[in-house]
Amino acid sequence: MVVGGGIAGIQASTDLADAGFYVYLVESSSAIGGVMAALDKTFPTNDCSI
Amino acid sequence: MKVAKQPRYVNEEKCTACGVCAIYCPVSVPDPYDENLSHRKAIHISYTQAAPSSYAVDPNNCLFLNRQECKQCTRTCQAEAIDFDQRPEILSYDVGALILSPGFSSFNPSRSGSYNYPDSPNIVTGKEFERICCASGPYVGKILRPSDLKRPDKIAIIQCVGSRDKTSGNPYCSSVCCKYAVKDAIVALEHEPDLDITIFFMDMRMYGKGFDVFHERAKAGGVKFVRSRVSNIKENPETRNLALKYAAEDGSLREDTYNLVVLANGLEAPQGNSTLALATGTRLNRYGFCETSLFSPLDTSREGIFVAGAFQGPKAIPDSVIQAGGSAASAAELLTSARGTLVTEKEFPEERTDPDESPKIGVFVCHCGKNIGGVVDVHEVKKYAETLPDVVTVEDNLYSCSQDTQVLIRDTIIEHKLNRIVVAACTPRTHEPLFQDTNREAGLNKCLVEMVNIRDQCSWVHMHEKDAATRKAKDLIRMAVAKASLIEPLPEPIVKVSPKGMIIGGGLSGMTAALSLARQGFECYLIERSLELGGNLRHTYFTLEGPDPQEYLDQFIREVRNHDNIHLFSDASIEKIEGFVGNFKTVLSFGDAENRKRVEIEHGIIIIATGAKPFEPDEYLYGSHEKVLIQQTLEKKLALQEIDAGTLNHIVMIQCVGSRDETHRYCSSICCGQAIKNALKIKELNPETEVTILYRDVMTYGFNEDFYDLARDKGVMFIRYEPDQRPRVEDLDGKLRLTVRSPLMKEDLVLDPDLLVLSTAMVPHENRTLVEQLAVPLSSDQFFLESHAQLKPVDSYVDGIYLCGMAQFPKPIDERIAQAKAAASKAAILLAKGYVKTEPIVSSCNTDKCIGCGLCEYFCPYSAIRITKMGKLKKAEVISAACKGCGVCASYCPTRAIDMGRFTDDQITAQIRAFGEKH
Amino acid sequence: MTNDKSEPAILGFFCHWCCYAAADAAGVARFQYPPNVRVIRVMCTGRIDPIFLMDGFVNGADGIFVGG
Repeated sequence: MVVGGGIAGIQASTDLADAGFYVYLVESSSAIGGVMAALDKTFPTNDCSI
Repeated sequence: MKVAKQPRYVNEEKCTACGVCAIYCPVSVPDPYDENLSHRKAIHISYTQAAPSSYAVDPNNCLFLNRQECKQCTRTCQAEAIDFDQRPEILSYDVGALILSPGFSSFNPSRSGSYNYPDSPNIVTGKEFERICCASGPYVGKILRPSDLKRPDKIAIIQCVGSRDKTSGNPYCSSVCCKYAVKDAIVALEHEPDLDITIFFMDMRMYGKGFDVFHERAKAGGVKFVRSRVSNIKENPETRNLALKYAAEDGSLREDTYNLVVLANGLEAPQGNSTLALATGTRLNRYGFCETSLFSPLDTSREGIFVAGAFQGPKAIPDSVIQAGGSAASAAELLTSARGTLVTEKEFPEERTDPDESPKIGVFVCHCGKNIGGVVDVHEVKKYAETLPDVVTVEDNLYSCSQDTQVLIRDTIIEHKLNRIVVAACTPRTHEPLFQDTNREAGLNKCLVEMVNIRDQCSWVHMHEKDAATRKAKDLIRMAVAKASLIEPLPEPIVKVSPKGMIIGGGLSGMTAALSLARQGFECYLIERSLELGGNLRHTYFTLEGPDPQEYLDQFIREVRNHDNIHLFSDASIEKIEGFVGNFKTVLSFGDAENRKRVEIEHGIIIIATGAKPFEPDEYLYGSHEKVLIQQTLEKKLALQEIDAGTLNHIVMIQCVGSRDETHRYCSSICCGQAIKNALKIKELNPETEVTILYRDVMTYGFNEDFYDLARDKGVMFIRYEPDQRPRVEDLDGKLRLTVRSPLMKEDLVLDPDLLVLSTAMVPHENRTLVEQLAVPLSSDQFFLESHAQLKPVDSYVDGIYLCGMAQFPKPIDERIAQAKAAASKAAILLAKGYVKTEPIVSSCNTDKCIGCGLCEYFCPYSAIRITKMGKLKKAEVISAACKGCGVCASYCPTRAIDMGRFTDDQITAQIRAFGEKH
Repeated sequence: MTNDKSEPAILGFFCHWCCYAAADAAGVARFQYPPNVRVIRVMCTGRIDPIFLMDGFVNGADGIFVGG
């Protein structure tokens, strides 16, 4: 089980699921994504963060 | 584990995220996604790309839930997804491992009273400014200030708000604010190039890969940097401009007026941290973050519970992603025996073999409720589609994506013996996999579906031009049908993966990666060029945080040597690496010169952990004066008692030697911590010894800020120097004399130290041969290049090759361990699966047409195509497993010998011709 | 295509990963734009052979929009 669906939680969950484990991802808000989903751009290419 | 699930009052299975409910919902509330700078409805979706793509009712603001009135959403939802009968549930799960990644909270600047937040609307936080800059934000990407929605010509960004500040309760450094402030400044200038932006800072902590260059870019772009802590902000009540008071570095008091002030507020432990700690039985550190230790940065205080991301300490996205991978590896080590036991792959009936017959196309046109049907005349489109060549049947569906429609599509395929389908609905980016699965359930190859986007790129964007939108839908369907008659079933290439790993480099990172793979049940070869394992850690004798590195290393080496799954080759060199993802072959030689042996090993993945070494400079009398050392040498001499601190009066350290200048343009992240560590050690051995550190910016990020504070408390002197006024060292009859210009006092200081210690850059080893053997790119600073700075920090550009540790970039011990584990996690995914399945969108080469010119090999960004000898001729060969389907090879091929699966020349040409046909 | 010359016929080649995704996002945000572009999705603008552009003009495109 992974508690928190921000970038770290999503990454940990997908890594585990891809490696053959059953994962519960628990998030307190209505959507995953966390803070990163609200960022405008990311370093260094200023790519959109979503 | 018990989890409380709150109701969202919307059935996720039924909700199509069409948004009609929110149009009718009468309750408008500030939108937290936009940091409350805009409004949303009580029924809402957090953001347009949210997952799950389903609306949710905000129970605090919904009229029905609070006053039993309204229910507009229930009435307007065509999908009947609104469900006010949902109740909170307590769910219980048995799990083998737990990973905590609750993130962080932002410091609320209203707690630092002097900054007038939130009373002045034109003082915003870092996150608010992110939303202001964002195209999907409250001002659709225009840089405006909240008070009057006018352009703020003059912007100030203030660093360390709620960081490095004992009065706010957060003496630690938040690690990310300097970086995001510089990014914000650069992004703002991209929007409005003539903005006047000033960043007020204490130290610009642009440590880490690529950041110092980013800093220089901001300076070159006109961003002003002022080293000062702003003491007070006053708002002019009429203009709503903001007057900043601050002390300049020369001590003079200044006041400047700005139109907008951004507070780069810091990171705090997440809300609910104590509850989470109690519920999970884990301990928090002194600042409320999760307690971990230097050599086990991902382990909480309770076995089986791991941590990732900012809850472990403030950190940026790549470090969070790295920790996430690392903690996944830790969990996988624990659960190895359960791997694959609970997950199943979906099975499909055998594929029909008749699609080679003449095309029989079925077209399915979606209404998407009113989303398409409200704009596009679906019945007219349906009639039109029936007239197109090869079309056997056309159906229209209210929701093409619903479960019952999948059954209908499957049955229609079987009934009419269709061998290709066209679905005119929403975007293939989200829905193509669904229809591909439906195809497979009907016994058709997954590639025999073509989607037409008549919602996102038609009805939604031409809502007021119904006829034109209908015409566009017809044109797009005609083009898709033309392509569909040429599409072909394609196999998904499957490449077997040899379930073993090779790790290059037996330092801390390499050993960590090897041990993680071994514990996850995979055999691996650990290759070390020297005789002994340990790398840089062998020369580390003490740590700031406390744990004894030598003790850890001894035990760790023993474990690595004794693990059955690890085959160690020391004193080894790599002679040849061949192959590709899943199937590498490497020739090694190892052992002493007289007895050197050669061996060929096969392995599915490679982890690069070649490390870095301290730079040896040719300045500051290094190498010519025996009292001039580098930090690593000082550490060793202190540990082995070759230096008697009791006899030393004064030690001077110089930071950034060969760093952040033309020699090496980056900051090596660890040298400031190293200097402070040695300074504290000297103070411990002899409090009377004076220690002076000459620095440019002190980079003690995160909780290491405490040690910077401690060093100052113990009397270590910190004197800043400007990069263009570097310290000068002279040899006066064997004695050292150092002159440095202090920007604070505007005068030269003269120091006569007993020892001069240089903190030099960490630089990569000479790896040229290896780089050629691996065919992976390096970044401009000569470290190995990761494939995405934020999201793929351990993947190289070549599939099956991963990076970790200082080979990727210099970093402290805990970050090396996390990254090594993250690399092991990625590698284990491939090894556990046992095969690589690639999308059929890969290139293929017709060797009859190929003239072996090699253009494709030259242009392929992924090393997925190579020229090989086929008999006497040279021909291009595609490595499907590595191909990403970009098609560069196909468009450059002079003889059109190369084609792309699902995007062939013929198919695209047919689309273009159909574009030109009139209807 | 329509014969109305006041509305130029635009053919678009959109990269799946960026421009095509951006066009979808424009839809989600309900940005309204003129309805005279017809899009062909490719996995990368690297796929676009210059011949495709010539073909587009031959087949009646008044303009071609390559988005990547």
